[in-house]
Amino acid sequence: MTKKQKKTLYRILTAAALLILAALMPAQGPVRLLLFLVPYAVIGWDVLWKAVRNIAHGQVFDENFLMALATIGALATGEYPESVFVMLFYQVGELFQSCAVGKSRQSIASLMDIRPDYANLEKDGGSDEVDPEDVAVGDVIVVKPGERVPLDGVILEGSSTLNTAALTGESLPREVSPGTDVISGCVNLTGLLRVQVTKAFEESTVSRILELVENASSRKAKAEAFVTKFARYYTPVVVIAAAALALIPPLFLHGAWADWVGRACSFLVISCPCALVISVPLAFFGGIGGASKAGVLVKGGNYMEVLARTEIVVFDKTGTLTRGVFNVTAIHPDQYSEADLLELAALAECWSDHPISRSIKDAYGKDIDASRVTDVEELSGRGVRARVDGRLVCAGNGKLMDEIGVSWHPCHKVGTTVHVAVDGIYAGHLVISDEIKPDAAPAIAALKSIGVRRAVMLTGDAQAVAEDVAAQLGLDEVHAQLLPSDKVDQVERLLKERSSKGALAFVGDGINDAPVLSRADIGIAMGALGSDAAIEAADVVLMDDKPSKIAAAVRIARKTLSIVRQNIIFALAVKFLVLILGALGHANMWEAVFADVGVAVLAILNSMRALHSDKDA
Amino acid sequence: MKKHFKLIDLDCANCAAKMEEAIKRIDGVNDARVSFLSQKLTLDADDARFDAILQEAVKICKRVEPDCKIDI
Repeated sequence: MTKKQKKTLYRILTAAALLILAALMPAQGPVRLLLFLVPYAVIGWDVLWKAVRNIAHGQVFDENFLMALATIGALATGEYPESVFVMLFYQVGELFQSCAVGKSRQSIASLMDIRPDYANLEKDGGSDEVDPEDVAVGDVIVVKPGERVPLDGVILEGSSTLNTAALTGESLPREVSPGTDVISGCVNLTGLLRVQVTKAFEESTVSRILELVENASSRKAKAEAFVTKFARYYTPVVVIAAAALALIPPLFLHGAWADWVGRACSFLVISCPCALVISVPLAFFGGIGGASKAGVLVKGGNYMEVLARTEIVVFDKTGTLTRGVFNVTAIHPDQYSEADLLELAALAECWSDHPISRSIKDAYGKDIDASRVTDVEELSGRGVRARVDGRLVCAGNGKLMDEIGVSWHPCHKVGTTVHVAVDGIYAGHLVISDEIKPDAAPAIAALKSIGVRRAVMLTGDAQAVAEDVAAQLGLDEVHAQLLPSDKVDQVERLLKERSSKGALAFVGDGINDAPVLSRADIGIAMGALGSDAAIEAADVVLMDDKPSKIAAAVRIARKTLSIVRQNIIFALAVKFLVLILGALGHANMWEAVFADVGVAVLAILNSMRALHSDKDA
Repeated sequence: MKKHFKLIDLDCANCAAKMEEAIKRIDGVNDARVSFLSQKLTLDADDARFDAILQEAVKICKRVEPDCKIDI
């Protein structure tokens, strides 16, 4: 508890004691009023003061004013104990709210406690502790065991294991050695590391994640927008109704003043929409916090809402369902030797960063003399064309071979086939296979079990490979040999086939699929640690590369949404019920104060459950 | 220029919304956000008038919720 909260607590206790004392005194008339005014003043002076001050500032209809009016009205109609109790309970509620909100804020903050405090900058043999913001790209920093990696970089010296749990939710430490990229926010566990910084602090992973989470609460969900709008009308309407209730029946219908003013006061007590205004954003905030604890970054409450409705999940294959680590598994040359074919392919692909190109270069294993290669042209979705030692080499899929009019033959081995043609003559092919991620099949099963109707895979890869993967994973639909633009078309078609309430999620690794990510109702990028483009384009970012996190994210979103729904329905139902009962004279101040503060407290408690969503995921 | 400020003793969600509305209406403000949950003000405003705008935001904050202070 903060100092301010403690002070309120003491005031509440004092006022409660004084209230009991006043209630026990057998006093009558003005003396009785005075007796109750003592606890009233102790507990309510600041509310009255704020009410006056805010009116002076032009803030009418704020909760202080309403509480002041309601309790003074109650005092005027002779309901002394009620009046004091309402004020007391209101303060208890406020105190509770402030504690609860503070607590959830803290637990989210500690969850996101990845901001490094300092960096050990290497300087003439020694090292200096500096602010991470002052470290420039290219500087060398030292990360000792137990310290947090302050900036993104690449290891120059030393090997160690890194704990990435704060970023990915993954508890298995990651092995790193010289040459490995390290990401800020990880904790160095065992060895001393010398790291060359590759990104300035504002650009580094830690800063990006923090900014993302901090901005998440500004992207409002529809439910939040509804609550804000509702609050804007609800209070004035209830206050006007209260005024009508206090004036019309006594003036025109011979009602008793005390009775109707009393009813109006209970209206005023219920007129604050606090229960909704606090609990709904808190639930989204908690849900987003809980999700990030599980390694899932949701960029806003609005995406939570869409995620919860997910009905069709479209996957990219490479890097999403499969590891994206390719190995050359067969070399079938025509005319050339195996080594020559591999060399030609490696040279032609030498500038490409595509996973397939990388695997060919890895298989080649030797240093590539890039000066032998000229006129490189990457043909999206087909392959590459380049001049190697002056000869025109084309390496790619069957489509590319058809295009350049080379007769080719398919391979009997399942995998991605890269055909190579030299000066328009077929030279043979390489077979490259990828491995399915171990948790891909359980991930699809989990999605099905939570009610996702269709799981679809889109890939640029060959039909045979795609079908093989789809069969192993139990996917409903598979479309192969797609160019990036075909993927957008497929997603457009699937968007038309979803039901009006359902949503389509696209899951990709963020490389080359930005257009699809943004076209889908919700774009999910995975394994996005360090990939700025993916973090930018996606609505939901999975920090590690486990497809099973998708089902977890949907579950968290659904739980959050159901908490929000419960709160809205519960708060509105109780408020309207008590409003109606109050107007009819069946509910008094006691019920009214429950409908206000009691409901707010219960709604907040309910919202705090969202923070622990990761436990169910 | 975009800057973040901490808000101290921001106690009411409704007031946060009111503050945000009012700060957005200051001349020269491109965007403003008051987050009740993270207790932060994000102010995106013209560089030239930034300090003047900030002073005005402080005044608004004081008017809407007198207990709340902007930590500059």
